[in-house]
Amino acid sequence: MSASQIPNLNTFRRGAGRGRLRGRGGHEGPGSTSRGQKDRVVQGTDNDASVSRLSAVGLGYLEDPFASALTPPGQETRRLPIINRGTYVRTTAIDQLVARFLGSTTDSDPSWKQKRKQIISLGAGSDTRVFRLLTSPSPPNIVYHEIDFAVNNAAKIKAIRGTPLLQRALGHREDIAISDVGDALHSPVYHIHPVDLRTLANRAGDTTDVPSVKDPVGQLRETLDVTLPTLILSECCLVYLSPDEAAGVVRYFTETLFPPSNPKSETLGLVLYEPIRPEDAFGRTMVANLATRGIQLQTLHEYASLEAQRKRLRQQGFDGGQAAADVDFLWERWVSEEEKERVAGLEMLDEIEEWKLLAQHYCVAWGWREGCDRFDGWRALEGQSVEG
Amino acid sequence: MSDLDRAIAQLRACRLIPESQVRELCYKARELLIEEGNVVCVDAPVTVCGDIHGQFHDLMELFRVGGDVPDTNYLFMGDFVDRGFYSLESFLLLLCLKVRYPDRITLIRGNHESRQITTVYGFYDECIRKYGSANVWRYCCEVFDYLALGALVLGASAELEPTGPVYNDTALSTNDDNELETEVLNSKGDVTMSTYRPRQRTSLDNGSVSPTRDQVPLRTGAPGTGASGSGAGSYGSRTGAVLCVHGGLSPLIDTVDKIRLIDRKQEVPHEGAMCDLLWSDPDEIDGWGLSPRGAGFLFGADIVKQFNYKNDLSLIARAHQLVMEGYKEMFDGGIVTVWSAPNYCYRCGNVAAILELGEDASNGGTVTRSNGDYGRSNGILSSAVDKPPLRSPGRRYRVFEAAAQDTRGMPAKKPVADYFL
Repeated sequence: MSASQIPNLNTFRRGAGRGRLRGRGGHEGPGSTSRGQKDRVVQGTDNDASVSRLSAVGLGYLEDPFASALTPPGQETRRLPIINRGTYVRTTAIDQLVARFLGSTTDSDPSWKQKRKQIISLGAGSDTRVFRLLTSPSPPNIVYHEIDFAVNNAAKIKAIRGTPLLQRALGHREDIAISDVGDALHSPVYHIHPVDLRTLANRAGDTTDVPSVKDPVGQLRETLDVTLPTLILSECCLVYLSPDEAAGVVRYFTETLFPPSNPKSETLGLVLYEPIRPEDAFGRTMVANLATRGIQLQTLHEYASLEAQRKRLRQQGFDGGQAAADVDFLWERWVSEEEKERVAGLEMLDEIEEWKLLAQHYCVAWGWREGCDRFDGWRALEGQSVEG
Repeated sequence: MSDLDRAIAQLRACRLIPESQVRELCYKARELLIEEGNVVCVDAPVTVCGDIHGQFHDLMELFRVGGDVPDTNYLFMGDFVDRGFYSLESFLLLLCLKVRYPDRITLIRGNHESRQITTVYGFYDECIRKYGSANVWRYCCEVFDYLALGALVLGASAELEPTGPVYNDTALSTNDDNELETEVLNSKGDVTMSTYRPRQRTSLDNGSVSPTRDQVPLRTGAPGTGASGSGAGSYGSRTGAVLCVHGGLSPLIDTVDKIRLIDRKQEVPHEGAMCDLLWSDPDEIDGWGLSPRGAGFLFGADIVKQFNYKNDLSLIARAHQLVMEGYKEMFDGGIVTVWSAPNYCYRCGNVAAILELGEDASNGGTVTRSNGDYGRSNGILSSAVDKPPLRSPGRRYRVFEAAAQDTRGMPAKKPVADYFL
């Protein structure tokens, strides 16, 4: 536990320091609704993720030159070894799914690799993936969309404005357009959309509703290319919505924007990263602890197991294939022995039992729908068939 | 009221004592600990506890469930600090109790009682935050260097006195042919599980009953002690000693005496016997294996059987590994893990346990103390003669949950456990 997290007993004696939320941003006044407060807590979870990423980068788990620029200043904290290892496994596993989707692995089909592709990251917040992709030695031919609350976007766009390193990754400055209030960004390869995902859920299935281009949802529709192979990423995002809303968001993409009936429809993939197994002792404690921080994982009980996640993908239209694995499995099976040795050498991890417990309560699930061109990139990946 | 008693009262209330008093306390503790051998001998009855990890309020719950010091004789198997938010309060209280009641509380070293580990896992940061400098951390680390590496519990009874009404009985109800071997109690004192074993006739029983097995003349006195002579350890109630160590065994250690030869007054090394004792884990393997922790080894049932047999031990009690049920017996009861930090790190959802070993009253309550040189009496013969199997001590596990946060004077701000969000 880092020093900043250890309560100072003296503050308790004076009765101070109570009920502080860890969220940042948000400009609502004291009269704001409880929904607004809940939203701010969810928005604040992005901060949590970026601090964890910076910790893992600082210790050498991950290479990410953009982590520091996208973490709020003064928040640097050394996370515990198990948290660092979890951040590492989560990031590298999704990196691998993305790389295979883009066809940038050595065993990829060359004709698939050449195709231009599209990535849509839900609740992306301060995620650095787009910058890492655009600055990789052989940058993939992609267009990258991020969708998040305006307040989270504003923080990210502010960081981009203030950091030449981030700007350079996006190409020519004159190609980048930023909205007046600074919550939307558009460039030929990168878009940041200030959209509350719940509004997409409400519009799902309504094909007659074509919003104006000035509306952020309209901008989203306008800038998405529905003829490209598209990957949707939800890293700990949909889990905060109600089950209906989460399903509605997915349906907005699978049916409204990318209907399978479209003769030009291409491969549509979804990668989820979420907690699972809320029913055992660790899971119950996790739910209770997060509740005290005001965080509700609303779909957790709905998609409580790997099997439930696969079924969800199947039912929500990803009928080409579905697979899932918990983080413990991904560490054991997806990380090479040399890499395991390197990572294990970074910090002494004296929490083997706790690591297993923690890692078995997070999973990555992935599923895809075939388009007019066959997509084989994920077939070789090993999922977890037996519940851990 | 002495300064020490005042300090104890203050720490019990989860309030820290001044730095100058910590310095004095650590000095006194070191003077005491330097006199202890690497393996401390402790007489039953004793309550054996596992990792605490700075969970102060749960330590208070442990004392509530297990009885207070000095009424209850305690043996803590290390890992007092790190991870929890109150390592200082927890360790300093235990240290005060050690100085105040040296014969009623035994502290042995865990792998977290080390400079290197405490800088990663929180104790160092806590010292800086609460005292404003690293002085107290340094005083504590100097004490860590003097903590014993293990303990030998002598004179534990093979049979438990039943606590009370039994629920969920796993064996037949008590009768003359069965004796109570283990009992599990919840924090209210209700028995939730019991196991029995066939009663063994002792030479004190009615002579018409033939012994259940051939009697072999006994070479040793109290088991595990290496004491010779015929004065103690009547056949039948003969239980082996219980070796308590934080982690486990080492390929470099085949006798308890070899532990006694270690020069322990140092930082925990990265390898070697001392490191292994604090880092190793039992595992379902044959022989020795590499530890995923990067220090110590994994050891299998065969290693435990050989070690226990050679050293006249009936049980190894160790801590070091989180077990969700609070305790876990392995290898036919040859080794047990005791874990005493409920809801570890405020996150794991586990229960905790302490292990009570009762006193064997059958030989008048006297126990031969170790003379520290095992096997001197009859080294050659001992390997030739098959020793009768030892009876394991009766084991009473008290299982308890994390202290309710709002009812026991805990701060209103709950500790924040990390998750991936």
